Amino acid sequence: MNPIQRRAFVKGAGLGALAFTVGGAQVLLTPAQARAEGVPLRTLKPDEAEAIEAIGEALVPDARKAGIANFIDQQISIPAEQALLEARILNVKPPYANFYRAAIGAINRASEARANKRFAELDAEHQHEFIDQMRQNKIDGWQGPPGGFVYFVMRSDAVDVVYGTMAGYEQLGIPYMPHIAPTQRW
Amino acid sequence: MATHEKVDVVIVGAGASGSTYAAVLAKAGKKVVLLESGPDWQLSDLISSDFWGRRLKPAGAPFQLEGKNPYGYAYQAGWGVGGAALHYFANFPRLLPNDFKIKSEHGRALDWPISYEDVSPYYDKVADDVGVSGDAKAEEIWRPPGKPYPMPPMKTFKNGQVWLKGFEAAGIRMVPAAVGMNSTEYKGRPACLYDGWCHVGCPIGALANPLVTYLAEAKKAGAEVRARSTVTRVLTNPQGNKVTGVEYYDDRKEKQVQEASVVVLAAWSGQNPRIMLNSATDKHPKGLANGSGLLGKYMMAHFASGTWAMFDDDVENHMGTTGAQYMSYERYGKTDHKGAFGSTFIVAGTGQKTSDLGGFANARPDLFGSPLAEFMKRAKRGLTRIGAFGEEMPNIENRIELAGDKDEFGMPLAKIIHSFDQDAVALWNANFEEGLQIAKGTGAKEVWSARGNQPTIHLFGGTIMGTGADNSVVDSHGQTHEIANLYVAGPGIFPTEGASNPTYTIFALSLRGAEHLAKNWSAVAG
Repeated sequence: MNPIQRRAFVKGAGLGALAFTVGGAQVLLTPAQARAEGVPLRTLKPDEAEAIEAIGEALVPDARKAGIANFIDQQISIPAEQALLEARILNVKPPYANFYRAAIGAINRASEARANKRFAELDAEHQHEFIDQMRQNKIDGWQGPPGGFVYFVMRSDAVDVVYGTMAGYEQLGIPYMPHIAPTQRW
Repeated sequence: MATHEKVDVVIVGAGASGSTYAAVLAKAGKKVVLLESGPDWQLSDLISSDFWGRRLKPAGAPFQLEGKNPYGYAYQAGWGVGGAALHYFANFPRLLPNDFKIKSEHGRALDWPISYEDVSPYYDKVADDVGVSGDAKAEEIWRPPGKPYPMPPMKTFKNGQVWLKGFEAAGIRMVPAAVGMNSTEYKGRPACLYDGWCHVGCPIGALANPLVTYLAEAKKAGAEVRARSTVTRVLTNPQGNKVTGVEYYDDRKEKQVQEASVVVLAAWSGQNPRIMLNSATDKHPKGLANGSGLLGKYMMAHFASGTWAMFDDDVENHMGTTGAQYMSYERYGKTDHKGAFGSTFIVAGTGQKTSDLGGFANARPDLFGSPLAEFMKRAKRGLTRIGAFGEEMPNIENRIELAGDKDEFGMPLAKIIHSFDQDAVALWNANFEEGLQIAKGTGAKEVWSARGNQPTIHLFGGTIMGTGADNSVVDSHGQTHEIANLYVAGPGIFPTEGASNPTYTIFALSLRGAEHLAKNWSAVAG
């Protein structure tokens, strides 16, 4: 058996795609597809999704289009033991929705205290400045999980959706070389 | 609650150590049941993806993390059949003779009750059993001779080769890394493809995970694996001098009792003491086998000093394994770094992925926005790294104790309290300094240290071995001093940790303990 054949000799059994709910039925989509098709959010409120998209995009360009809000929404809507979030390996205590809600709340409270605007309403320059201070735990009056940890977790999520997928590897020009490829290129 | 028919041995945990015990004892004709808290993973579950690989790790927090350097266990712990050895890097360095006698030689830390010579034959046996690739002769510049490894060294790639010039300039000899992977076909398992997905599980069986080695042997010999079975207590007789089985919750979350002649606790280093502390009785008020008061004490972790280098050339950093291509014990002496104490084990050359903790997006965790995007474009061609693992000395204040909160089965959560001492910090810093020196010697365009919070890697101690019940929990075979038919397996029994990756030694000590148990079965189980 040659190496290319062996790389794919065991086929994944439909385990790779994420299940999104559309019109009461479950469909398998990538987060980018879920966003493009306007799949309704299950757990996040619209303002929370707006915040996650804004933060994600500021952390890693293209995270919004890659479906970061749909990804996190889907992941915090399933049992913790099924979750694929980096939060899982960073010792965040489930339910993971609590962490994201606390993080978003802290970011928006701090942003409003500084500029009288939610984070998503800041211009790109001020978003960058805000994140730079957040990652260094330098925002006065911060109330929530440590800013540096919020930065690390949400940056990891954004890296995941932009660079961690088969499409992300392809975009960077790196061979993905799976033994068992995730379905839906995820 | 149901009580199952008594078996010879119940083993708690189906990872590296539990699988080894199961194979030896099942082949010796014993009726063996393994209870594993997580899912029954199959090779076909090992999807090549950093996202999907996270399913192999614990979700939730039965441990509360405290201390100056909280122990971040979730990344490296296992959850499910195969345990952490389902997603490990399979670096197989041995401990060296100086690891076994630190107290004798330096007047500090602890001695092992055995020497390197006691473990060495089991390193050789494990190599033959599971398959190890490397160059044993080359390693003998640092250690006593042993058998050759059954397979030649793995292939190397530019991402490893580019470091050799820098190491040579620093006077550090590098040899082919010993790894639990197949450089050639071995025992019907194929050779490695160098695709770098080891850390999310190797479905082709080229990497020596339990599913294709000891656990497969155990099942073939009749061992039964019950997945999603969470053990909460070890049960004892009224006199408190024998264990009689374990209490556990099954996949329907119903309480069960499995009676057994011998109990082997082979969950991870955090969970074994948690179960033993939760098994306290009037005869063992401080927890089982805890007359010494040392149950849950002397928890230790490795730490790593990583160094990155960016080259203009394409160093093929997508090629290789998650394990190392080259390794060195050149700084393994306990006092090799002035002003620090402890061994250092050095590795170079690894296949890299984009995301997850070890991905190259985290090579510059300070970057975000367009600078990160620019960095990723450069890193995909020219980025490579080395690592220096450092040894922490045992400190009785680093410990596990039960907490007030309880889990879904009513079992108390546990706290892991962990702080590095000044020696560990000094060694960490010294290895960063030397790493930069090495990197500068390569001629790389940019070099930098992977500094952040001092990481905690691997977990040792909590049920340490020693010469008696006054100074330890178990003997060198993992048998508890106070209850003859209760064994503990895994890195929890290490009294010191060395700087080498632990799994090879876990396999070797488990094989030694299991063979001793089989040989002395009547005396232990009778």
